[in-house]
Amino acid sequence: MTLTLLAQGIVKRYGGVVAVKDGCLEVQSGVVVTLVGANGSGKSTLSKVITGVVAPNEGQLLLNGVPVQFPTPQAAKKRGIAAVYQELSLIPDMTVAENIWLTNEPRLVGISLRRGEMRRKTQELLDLFAGTTSNNLTPDTLVNTLPPDERQIVEILKAISSQPRLVIFDEATASLDRSQVDRLFELIRQWKREGMAIVLITHRMDEIFRVADRVTVMRNGQTVGTVNAADTTAREIVQMMIEGAAAPDAGRMPQSDTTAPVRLEVRGLRCGRLQRADLTLRDGELLGLGGLQGQGQTELLLALFGALPYAGTVILGGKPVRFRHPRDAMKHGVAFVPGDRATEGLLLSRSILENFLLPSWQRYGIIHDVEAARQDATTAARDLSLVYSSLDAPASSLSGGNAQKVVIGKWLLRRPKLLLLNDPTKGVDVGAKAEFYALLRQLTTQGTAVLFYSSDDDELLGLCNRVLVLQDGLVRDELSGERLTRQNLVAASMGTTHEQR
Amino acid sequence: MNLSSVSAGIQRSFPFVRHLTPPLIALLLAVLLFFAGGLVKPNFVNINQATNIVRLAAFLGIIAAGQTLVIISGGEGIDLSVGAVVTLAAMLTFRYTNGNNSLIAWGFVLSCGAGLAVGFVNGLGIALLRIPPLVMTLGMTGVVQGTILVVTQGEMIGAAPPLMAKWIARPLVFGLPGVIFIWLALGVLMWLLLNRTTYGKHLFAIGTNRTAARLSGVRVQQVVVITYMLSGLLAGFGGFILLGFSQTVFLQLGNNYLFPSIAAVVVGGTLLTGGMGSYWGTMSGALVLTLIDSLLRAMELEQAYQLIIVGIILLALITVYGRQRSLRQ
Amino acid sequence: MNSVRLQHFLTRNTYLFSLLLLAILLSVNYSLQDNLFELRVLNNSMRTLLPLILLAVGQSVVVIGGGIDLSVGTMVSMLVAMLVKLITVESSATDIALAVLAACGAGMAAGSLNGLAVSYLRLQPIVTTYATSFIFSGIALLLLPRPGGQIPTELRRFYAQTPYGVPLSFYVIGVLLLLWTLIRSTRYAQYLFATGSNSQAAYTSGVPVRAVRFSTYVWAGFFAGLAATALTFSTGSGQANIGDNMTLDSIVAVVLGGTRLSGGKGGIAGAIIGVMILRVIRNVIFFADVPTWSQTLVNALIIIAALAGPGLFGLVRRMVKK
Repeated sequence: MTLTLLAQGIVKRYGGVVAVKDGCLEVQSGVVVTLVGANGSGKSTLSKVITGVVAPNEGQLLLNGVPVQFPTPQAAKKRGIAAVYQELSLIPDMTVAENIWLTNEPRLVGISLRRGEMRRKTQELLDLFAGTTSNNLTPDTLVNTLPPDERQIVEILKAISSQPRLVIFDEATASLDRSQVDRLFELIRQWKREGMAIVLITHRMDEIFRVADRVTVMRNGQTVGTVNAADTTAREIVQMMIEGAAAPDAGRMPQSDTTAPVRLEVRGLRCGRLQRADLTLRDGELLGLGGLQGQGQTELLLALFGALPYAGTVILGGKPVRFRHPRDAMKHGVAFVPGDRATEGLLLSRSILENFLLPSWQRYGIIHDVEAARQDATTAARDLSLVYSSLDAPASSLSGGNAQKVVIGKWLLRRPKLLLLNDPTKGVDVGAKAEFYALLRQLTTQGTAVLFYSSDDDELLGLCNRVLVLQDGLVRDELSGERLTRQNLVAASMGTTHEQR
Repeated sequence: MNLSSVSAGIQRSFPFVRHLTPPLIALLLAVLLFFAGGLVKPNFVNINQATNIVRLAAFLGIIAAGQTLVIISGGEGIDLSVGAVVTLAAMLTFRYTNGNNSLIAWGFVLSCGAGLAVGFVNGLGIALLRIPPLVMTLGMTGVVQGTILVVTQGEMIGAAPPLMAKWIARPLVFGLPGVIFIWLALGVLMWLLLNRTTYGKHLFAIGTNRTAARLSGVRVQQVVVITYMLSGLLAGFGGFILLGFSQTVFLQLGNNYLFPSIAAVVVGGTLLTGGMGSYWGTMSGALVLTLIDSLLRAMELEQAYQLIIVGIILLALITVYGRQRSLRQ
Repeated sequence: MNSVRLQHFLTRNTYLFSLLLLAILLSVNYSLQDNLFELRVLNNSMRTLLPLILLAVGQSVVVIGGGIDLSVGTMVSMLVAMLVKLITVESSATDIALAVLAACGAGMAAGSLNGLAVSYLRLQPIVTTYATSFIFSGIALLLLPRPGGQIPTELRRFYAQTPYGVPLSFYVIGVLLLLWTLIRSTRYAQYLFATGSNSQAAYTSGVPVRAVRFSTYVWAGFFAGLAATALTFSTGSGQANIGDNMTLDSIVAVVLGGTRLSGGKGGIAGAIIGVMILRVIRNVIFFADVPTWSQTLVNALIIIAALAGPGLFGLVRRMVKK
């Protein structure tokens, strides 16, 4: 039974903020539409309207030409629309099987659960990804013991289990490794052939050209255009996404000064997924960490910041140290910028002033010198070219790029000697990224040592003059100079080196 | 309908009212209730009555100060042991001063010390052993009550130093009893603590987002332990002060202040989820609750009806003040 | 594969540790009080415990769903007052049955008030149920301004009987456990645990979270009705504040039994074991000749120790990791 879904004129406001001002999307059975847009373009919100998680203020949804309303996610599901988000719907204390079949459990006499059948059907679904997952992923595994990639797979299987007619994948590949993404795309092609309508929301250009039939682009809450994938190019799509401005040229960093003092030495560091890391970092150097997500990069950074216990040796500024708490690290001039700013970097409901000064209140006396504090914050905001209404406005009033400026700004106030960044530009729009890169360059010129993890290969290539690529908790390769190419990056992140060292 | 939409509506109609925060609304409500009392009972509205109400509210307000801190700290923070600590402090002062004015300072030290100790144990259990605050402070209530019984062996001997009654409960300056000045001083101190000290900033941080706070260098566990210690200290102080008012001590003395202390904090606009709030709000909340109580008493209703009305009013207040986030936006 | 199943089993059956604790405490109790398991003594103990057990079972359901109910004790007071007014010495078996049904119905109505406020008005559970407890207290006082009431002697005898040498209370507990095992395998139970574990994820998955939360408070009211029934049959008369102190005990029992206060984990077996643990501790203190005035303190310290147990394990584990 074919299906056509048309979203028209969707408007969604959150308090005073307009997330979507004119959202449109069309998809049919057997077609894969990718929905792309910079962060804050409204694509996630639009998809949530279609699946009933969020109520639109205006606009309509037409299913096979008939207007419909979805007051709850259940209502959308009943009409055959399912969505795969990033970990929004898994119950941590329940097993994989229980999660997949939640609200859809096979039952005996309409009442009691048939656990045997649940297990069997779950295994069938898990087999779709066979070969790309660990042995830990079984129907009876508790979801809270699963790593992010396997949780994402469970989310995907959960959506598929109800045999929907339309599936929306919202950034569903972000946590998956390469083999899992390949398998998913194989499955998507198969499902497409079987008549499913598919919407793929993604940040990654290569994914668009691997599976999409059509591309719908959103910008600033509006749908700005739809093109056939076969008729367009990456450049054209990017242009639609950023108002015609050219993609930012990160620009190579100048070669680092090899006579600068060594700021950081790490030997045999072991922490969680990170099995062994050794590195040397000099003042004024920007060392990149690369590789696929979840290979130990975050653990390395957190360990250096004192936020995770670790084994191994860390020598900072010539002296051996062991930080047991972030404040210890801060006292030694180390700073950490997290990637997930909403949950790790900002106190959203508190004022911008408080967010800027949170690490530094001790400087203002036992009874705070408010004037001095405000002065410092205003200066910091100016130096960052921050766009904000007032220092007393809540941090939640800032746009993505500006919010990230505050996250890094609170550390810059302290003039750190070592700056650790954990995928800081994830979800930051293109314009803000350029400002961010300029900031990093400025810091390194001033002599700050920077250790920078990014899941975006282009960023690493453009920004760093040396990159350590991690895979499965080990440093697989160190790339610099001429060897710093996309090919080598990718090869190393897969665990192989393209040429000899 | 909730407080923020009411507040937003009022702000749209009366732009100068931008600063109408929950504590202010509670204060206005208290004033309203006071004059409503005049409708019910002809001579309700007079200076004496007002003074009396503020005096009663002061005791609740002082005891609720610690509760305010604990609730702002988030993590389902709550201190159910304040009632028992109040009784403990009052008992210790009663027993060990034995009516002797020169020993008042010693009573003060004992009260605050005992409160600090209880708070410290609470803090350890909650921060280190990860016992939920509700359960930990509930358990400590039993320990404190048990301690009282062991110390007194069932006999409440001692006496309240007469100087305390003179300084605290009886008119001191301008016809106002000392406790009101003490309360105001505490109000100023709490404001300083919450808004002008590093502890205060860190407290709001951990109440808002513990992960972000830790990654910004806040020693979360330390702040939690200190908060419960402060709560115990303030409850101990409250118990000490209470002895100026209640010349006798009995095991249930503090119980009547426990849940009202939580209600006062909530009515004052502090969120039970943490990260937001103020002591001014709690002070207004204490006034509101005391007024409701006095009004009902003045109406000379049967206790049964009083209880029911208190419950309904509390529900109404929470409906306006304390609605949680919706699952669907 | 085995360790996964083991982990799954341990997570499903959170009461195991408390069961062990109960066994240990019972042995200590038995060594101090050799008539502990004598039928008459056992029956007396269980008769007085059954009301709290029933109440704690209701509280468990609310807690598993992610909430808490601080009004259950005053609900019992209110419903006992109701029963005592409805049941007189002349009441027939039918009258009594109807009265019990009415009490349970009234309990469910009271629970609905809580459920409406918490689930549909989205008010915070602690303060809300604290507010409603005032209302129930007031109603109890209205119904029963002075202590009183009398029930037929046959009824008390009925409650005190021991069919086949086992106290009636154990049969009740048995039925409860059986019903729970049956309910545990229904979709409703999945909804309940999902709501308590992560209500946002449950909502996105299509679980009717609001209705589920509402239902937990109605269950609490129903069990308050059963508890009031047991209490009335046990004591034969009532007073307006008879149940008020049971609230906090019900919460401690639920936690001692291994159910997680934030929800999503646990079961009613834990609550039952928790109530028994509380009683056995009191017995041990009494029979160990702890001085009268020190008993409350020792009791409280033992409970804190029991609560601290799992926390200590966690702490040691975290220290070892470093």
